[in-house]
Amino acid sequence: MDSPTAIDDLIKRLRDRVEERRGRGLYPADLEADLDAHFERIAAHRPSPYDYDQLRQRLSELDEAMGFSPAHIVYESGLPGGTALHRSIGKMVSRQTAGILEQMHRYAEAMRDVLREVVVVLEHPNSHVHAELLGQVDGIVERLADFERLPADSIVGLADLRRRLERLEAAEAARRFEPWYPNERFEDEFRGSRSELLARYDDLAARFDGCDPVVDLGCGRGEFLELLGKRGIAATGVELDPELVKAGMARGLEVIHGDAVEWLAGAPSGSLGGIALVQVIEHLTAGDRADVVRLAAEKLRPGGRILIETVNPQSLYVFSHAFYADPTHDKPVHPAYLDFLLKEAGFGQIAIEWRSLPSPDESLEPVDTNAERVNRILFGPQDYAIIATR
Amino acid sequence: MQIHQVLVTASPGDAITNSALELRKLLRQVGPSEVFARYIHPDLADQVRRLDDYDRHRANWTPNDLLLFHASIGEPHVYSFISERPERLVLVYHNISPAAPFLPYDPAFAGLLEAGRQELAALRDRAVLALADSQFNADELIELGYRDVRVARLIIDVDRLRQIEPEPQMVEWLDRIEGPVLLFVGQLLPHKRPDLLLKAFHVLVTYLVPDAHLLMVGTNRLPGYAEALELFRRELNLGAASFRGSLSDPAWAAHFRRADLFVSASEHEGFLVPLIESFAFDVPTIARAHAAIPETMGDAGVLLPPEDDPILMAEAMAEVLGDASLRSTLVARGRKRLEVFDPDVARAALLDHLLSVV
Repeated sequence: MDSPTAIDDLIKRLRDRVEERRGRGLYPADLEADLDAHFERIAAHRPSPYDYDQLRQRLSELDEAMGFSPAHIVYESGLPGGTALHRSIGKMVSRQTAGILEQMHRYAEAMRDVLREVVVVLEHPNSHVHAELLGQVDGIVERLADFERLPADSIVGLADLRRRLERLEAAEAARRFEPWYPNERFEDEFRGSRSELLARYDDLAARFDGCDPVVDLGCGRGEFLELLGKRGIAATGVELDPELVKAGMARGLEVIHGDAVEWLAGAPSGSLGGIALVQVIEHLTAGDRADVVRLAAEKLRPGGRILIETVNPQSLYVFSHAFYADPTHDKPVHPAYLDFLLKEAGFGQIAIEWRSLPSPDESLEPVDTNAERVNRILFGPQDYAIIATR
Repeated sequence: MQIHQVLVTASPGDAITNSALELRKLLRQVGPSEVFARYIHPDLADQVRRLDDYDRHRANWTPNDLLLFHASIGEPHVYSFISERPERLVLVYHNISPAAPFLPYDPAFAGLLEAGRQELAALRDRAVLALADSQFNADELIELGYRDVRVARLIIDVDRLRQIEPEPQMVEWLDRIEGPVLLFVGQLLPHKRPDLLLKAFHVLVTYLVPDAHLLMVGTNRLPGYAEALELFRRELNLGAASFRGSLSDPAWAAHFRRADLFVSASEHEGFLVPLIESFAFDVPTIARAHAAIPETMGDAGVLLPPEDDPILMAEAMAEVLGDASLRSTLVARGRKRLEVFDPDVARAALLDHLLSVV
């Protein structure tokens, strides 16, 4: 390398080498762009360049510099006789000088006040606030990105999640309610003895004649299953309480341990002739009530029947007696709503039967039409059964 | 005849301050000469006078007196002083950094630089002579309408630099570094492109010379920018690159003695003194062809094309580090290049220029 052009040759050789190495893949294709983007990202997030203390210091210097006065005018001169000359000129124009100084002072005061305000405005929405806001925005953007990552059928997925969540909540509530007394004792006390129940539901069991197989969802102690069995109808019960399941099985009944709605969801379509829910639907959540009717329409074969027996919310007597005696009751279900659900699910021949009238001893003497009206509201039938055909 | 000099700021290690103090030695051979500044670093309090005390330190005014003003940032107080003094004015121009790269980091300082340029333009008719330390700087003044513009080489006392005794502890620390050492000397300012230097160094140690080190010597006067650079260095995992801050003369000399290569990615320099310092310490150099760099470097270093190209820069670094014959050629040319900047020649030329207007 003997001449200045040798440097040019060197640069050319280096360029060729870079190209050759790029060709071999030694240098990543985006290396320079990545490095540039990297530094730009850092530089863009640097802290605020403003030093407000320094700015305030400069402001106070401004205050000090504002003492405009003719006394600060320097008359000294390096030229012979210059100082005296400047002094006399100063005196001659003192009125004008004072006028200009006054105008300058007014202007400077206004300017200083504006600058003070500007410093305050600049300082207060400072970088830490920005950083906090940016942090919140980052959080929102991340959550948005999570939502965007949900699959296209996420609405269906969310509905399913909601239903599962409701069921989990209900199951959790039921799980938490674990009384120390046996449920069988509670049923004896509040729903009546076995013989009483057998007598009460005999007529309802007759509605399933010719509807094999029947499933009794939430079969409890199994009285209704017994009645169905006596009539020669093939029937299975589903019950959540393992103790009641055991008791039913001990009496030779076919009882499955499980959640009624889940069991129904898993049954083959059109496989059932009858579905009974006796004093059960008022224990379900709103979602499960709607689902159980829709599932029933799917699982019953054409001509199959559903029977739902529950407390009658149209009778105020119910609320002072049976309904709140059971701590596991959720909400009473209005017959008009069940009628609506069944129609919507495609059921026909829907009939409502009013049952369990309060004892006449407890109601008003039907002395006139007014007393009868009050009796209908206060002492209406305690239960109703709604029967529909698929 | 007295010739005084005026600066805005006097601080240790600053190129303009050094040049003024060097010039004072020369001017005192002719007559009384002081350096005055508006802002003075405490370390220089016994060498530089306060501008407010100008009248106390000057001798009686004579028509032959000259005032040398080293133009830099804008300063209204200094500007009105310069404008109103009766002495004839000689403007000394070392270049004013471009304002734009400073805007994102220090808008106030960018404003001072811009004001400096405006003052420079306004002093055009006041100056009887303008001295520029490079043709690049002279061209700027001619562009502004200055009439008598001359290039006067900076007085850089190379022998004095070589005689600085390196600090022993620093020498010991530097000797423990294994592998080649690259040196950059200059303030950490955006137009000096330390970011591009880090990018090139990243390419160098990742793909070409894994055991290389980069020492970056110079003050950081833009904290936001310095923080960004430090973060960049850490995120690139460049443990072998370090910011050494500003150094005392003995520590500075130790760095030059250890360096295997001087590198600058700067894209604006009115002269670039560290090139001359590298020539003085037999250190080969690499820089980019911007502003006054080509005329300072001559053929004594590897002059890269002006574009941002960290890969080409890294390849050049690897080439110089790896090719012993190239290194010795560059060192020999550096020594030869020093002849152009011979301080005695520069002093004589400067005196000629000044006396021609007296």
